[in-house]
Amino acid sequence: MIICRCEEVSYKELATTAAIYKCSARELKLRTRAGMGYCGGRSCRTMIDKIANTSASTQDRAYVSLKYQPPIRPINFGNLGGQNK
Amino acid sequence: MTRRILDHPVLGKIENNNYVSFIFNNKVYKGLENESLAAALLSHGIRTLRYHEDSGSPRGFYCNIGHCYECRVSVNGQSGIRACVTPIKEGMIVESNGPLQPLNKEDRRLENG
Repeated sequence: MIICRCEEVSYKELATTAAIYKCSARELKLRTRAGMGYCGGRSCRTMIDKIANTSASTQDRAYVSLKYQPPIRPINFGNLGGQNK
Repeated sequence: MTRRILDHPVLGKIENNNYVSFIFNNKVYKGLENESLAAALLSHGIRTLRYHEDSGSPRGFYCNIGHCYECRVSVNGQSGIRACVTPIKEGMIVESNGPLQPLNKEDRRLENG
């Protein structure tokens, strides 16, 4: 089952990585590339958070979920610089 | 042959008859003006809108509300346009992007300095 479609990362891959490294969501993201694709994790962020948080040792109050950062949508440099105004 | 539902049991008959033609991957198709590109192509049975940059596996629209960017295509030369939220206009030139050419080892060594 594919979780991150942009980077083609499966549930199995994420679950295995989370089980081996017992890592945070951010580390899970960096290890598998899930949520680092074109859409910016818009469709899989919550699932990655969930998978990372269910692996035993990370279930604590200090848990930090994946962040949102600009640009909130993919934009090319031309549009960013106002080329098409 | 169209797979469009022309007479819907609940919504009734389609009133809009303003068909425009557009080009998708060098073939001419017709669709209703201002319907989404994804809908127009689906009515012709086209579900593969692009291929994954790395693996080359086929992709179509997924969320259909503009979030997932799975349906991105090139429109009139501009890449990264979402087919599910882009209304079609007469004469649009739409192209789907295929897998990117992998760098060979020599190039990669240069790139990494």
